[in-house]
Amino acid sequence: MGVAFDSISFKASLCDGCGDCMTACSEAKSGASRISIVPGAKAGGYEAALCRQCGDPKCAQVCPSGALDKDGGNGVIGWDAAKCVDCLLCTAGCVYGGIAVDPNVSRVAKCDQCDGDPACVKVCPTGALEFRKAGSIFNEYGAKEDLFVPGLSGCQGCNSELIMRHAMRKIGRNSVLATPPGCIPGMGSVGYNGKTGTKVPVFHPLLTNTASMLSGIRRYYDRIGRKDIVVMALAGDGGTADCGFHAVSGAAERGEKVLYVCVDNEGYMNTGMQRSGTTPYGSWTSTTPVGEHMKGKTQDAKNLPLIMTAHKCRYVATASTGYMEDLYEKLDRAIEASFEGFSYLHIYSPCPTGWRIPSNKVIDACRMSVDSNFNPLWEYTNTTGLRFTHSPDNAYPITEYVKMIGKYRHLSPDQLAHIQAKVDEQVALLKLMAAESSPPPAAHRAPAGASTPAGAESSQPARREIARN
Amino acid sequence: MNQLPTTTGKVIVCDGNEAAAWGACLSRPDMVAVYPITPQSSLVEYLAEFIADGRMDADLMDVEGEHTVLSVLHGAVLAGARTYSATSAQGLAFMFEPYFRTPGLRLPMVVSLVTRDAVSPTCVWGGQQDAMTVKEVGWIHMYCETQQEILDTIPIAYKVAEHPDVMLPVNVNHDGNYLSYGVARVELPPQSVVDAFLGEKQVNWHACLDPERPMAVDPLTGGAGGIGPSMFVKYRKGICAGMQDALRVIEEAHEDWGKRTGRYWSPLIEEYRMEDAEVALVTIGSMTGAAKDAVDTAREAGRKIGLVKIKTFRPFPAARIAQALSKVKAIGVVDRSVNFGWNCGPVFQEVLAAMYAQPVRIPMMSFIGGLAGADITVEHFATVVERTFRLAGGETAAGPVWLNEND
Repeated sequence: MGVAFDSISFKASLCDGCGDCMTACSEAKSGASRISIVPGAKAGGYEAALCRQCGDPKCAQVCPSGALDKDGGNGVIGWDAAKCVDCLLCTAGCVYGGIAVDPNVSRVAKCDQCDGDPACVKVCPTGALEFRKAGSIFNEYGAKEDLFVPGLSGCQGCNSELIMRHAMRKIGRNSVLATPPGCIPGMGSVGYNGKTGTKVPVFHPLLTNTASMLSGIRRYYDRIGRKDIVVMALAGDGGTADCGFHAVSGAAERGEKVLYVCVDNEGYMNTGMQRSGTTPYGSWTSTTPVGEHMKGKTQDAKNLPLIMTAHKCRYVATASTGYMEDLYEKLDRAIEASFEGFSYLHIYSPCPTGWRIPSNKVIDACRMSVDSNFNPLWEYTNTTGLRFTHSPDNAYPITEYVKMIGKYRHLSPDQLAHIQAKVDEQVALLKLMAAESSPPPAAHRAPAGASTPAGAESSQPARREIARN
Repeated sequence: MNQLPTTTGKVIVCDGNEAAAWGACLSRPDMVAVYPITPQSSLVEYLAEFIADGRMDADLMDVEGEHTVLSVLHGAVLAGARTYSATSAQGLAFMFEPYFRTPGLRLPMVVSLVTRDAVSPTCVWGGQQDAMTVKEVGWIHMYCETQQEILDTIPIAYKVAEHPDVMLPVNVNHDGNYLSYGVARVELPPQSVVDAFLGEKQVNWHACLDPERPMAVDPLTGGAGGIGPSMFVKYRKGICAGMQDALRVIEEAHEDWGKRTGRYWSPLIEEYRMEDAEVALVTIGSMTGAAKDAVDTAREAGRKIGLVKIKTFRPFPAARIAQALSKVKAIGVVDRSVNFGWNCGPVFQEVLAAMYAQPVRIPMMSFIGGLAGADITVEHFATVVERTFRLAGGETAAGPVWLNEND
């Protein structure tokens, strides 16, 4: 497989032109900023000129002295000051404006990603700049063993299969895996007629007793001193939020050392797309149909991860395959926590079949579900409390999310307003919990100069209003 | 048949629940999962106390319900643990989903059923409706008559469950209220005797969850085509074979226990004064004591009557029962529960089926007593004796006779 690298990404829609990144860069590098925020093509919009660390860098190609070279280890295009003849051809060769000239010294100023901790990203108050580590993580994961057999019979584009394969790559062979009835065993993880679909010890608990069986396994392994085995579930939302909830709640209350991953596709998708306790309000399902008298589910979803925080679990987090690096980091923490107590990871998993999404749009839907705050990403520990791992500010309006998904096609303006209100309410509650438990984020410094857009100084909710319009 | 206890062990005075807890303690389970329910509650309290005091080296799992009790034990057995628990009535009903899959997974474990009538109408007292309702699931069921038999049968049950020819879960049943709270003299066999009797535990050699021996446990089996249905049939036949082999293994285990402790309990059925009996009673559980007294009284009056007590109800020792009852003129079967669709007691129906293989038809009558914790008294048994003799004399059977209908 190819090699991928970490990179700084820029999301123009989130940039308010404050210029904090430029200030931070010039401070960090004691010279001219290597990133420039410039007015965009759209009125009021912004673009960034920054080094993309191209795979086929034109700057290096035009360099007559060999001063620019792509590092095979981290992918950063390095600049050798000793070799540079100061011709500035590279600045002309780069179509992205990724190499700046430092007028003070008349030499090039080249982004080096600050050794993996870019100063510009750290100060960006809107999340427009992000250091994306997914690339190198994928390299690492590609080298790990896939612990499921090829040819699992998931639907085309199945997000749960992606979660299973990637999660088990991370967890490894020293584990015991439970896959209760649902899509995950349905696609063959436990196997058929005596054949297995998984390379680790795997079993089919009842829909109702996953956390209980895992408790028994883990207690006995602890008793005989085999404490390093990850005892874990890859369970659906029905077996977690509904009929299996007593077991989950009981195991959490007892602090059983279990890693419980709930793959939430918001319904009983394996058996024909029926509603579950986590099916959101308004969703079409085969048991909450759309007709003359009924327009989808009439109740809100239960917020299972939030309920789990009330159990004082060792670790609780929400994750999405739209943000894999975040998921990987949370898996690391969840595994570690599972040796100490109950560890609960809730992964949102759009179902192309049951939700009526084209299979090539699943990851887009994952991402938008987070970006619209429909499924905010956060984590909780019983010592540090709750913190967001992805900013809940500057969210897209909920309409941007629901319009991607067929099960919401029928929604009326009233229903949409209900969903938006519930999303806002939930984010407000999470923010309250986050504020109670961790230091507030650094104050957003007022933007300076003519590039300040109207409204940039206003409060966070106002910013959200702008984003929605 | 029940010899006086030898004096090799410590003698205590305890109720049936404590006797069961001692039986479990002496069998050294690694894991005990508990959830209280009347009339079993004091049993799990004893277990918790034993573990708290360090008398019992087991991991105590206090869980949120019987469904989880059995589920955690499933996990523990698959990881290699010897396990124990106990339940009753509604608890057993709530446990049913994992209960049903225990024999299918061939998990050798022992669970005491402190038998009780099942709601509705609401009733928390003794009866055998709970245990009789789950008789077809694939668990071995053994019913005890006395506190000492409860204690002794639990180690015997482990020996049977873990036998490679059996590999099935065992319910050791004792009557709620009557035995659970009734106090008697009980001898505790020395730990060394029980250890030598049980030997190394054999729990998960056939199916396990262990990263060092990775396997898929319980893959989806069946469906149309391929080897699916035939494989499913193989599993079902395997359980049937294990049940039939258990008849022999239960006898061997009782014999072995008798040699080591001096207490030879009847493993499948006990025949009491059946040598020349013209009429026979069939009993199960704690009622047997009163029935034996009634038999003795009738014998003193010169009436030729005997009794067959059923200890092992699953597997049903049909051949032994038919053999024991083949020469009598009438049979009275006393149940402590109801078979609703047959208008009789469940034990009656089983004995009826076993007797069908005999060349002659013997008249039989169903008696139902002891419901809702009622005592089955010697007076009740006098009625049973009388009606059974009248049956032998040619009176037509009209059953069932509800013994405590007017109590």
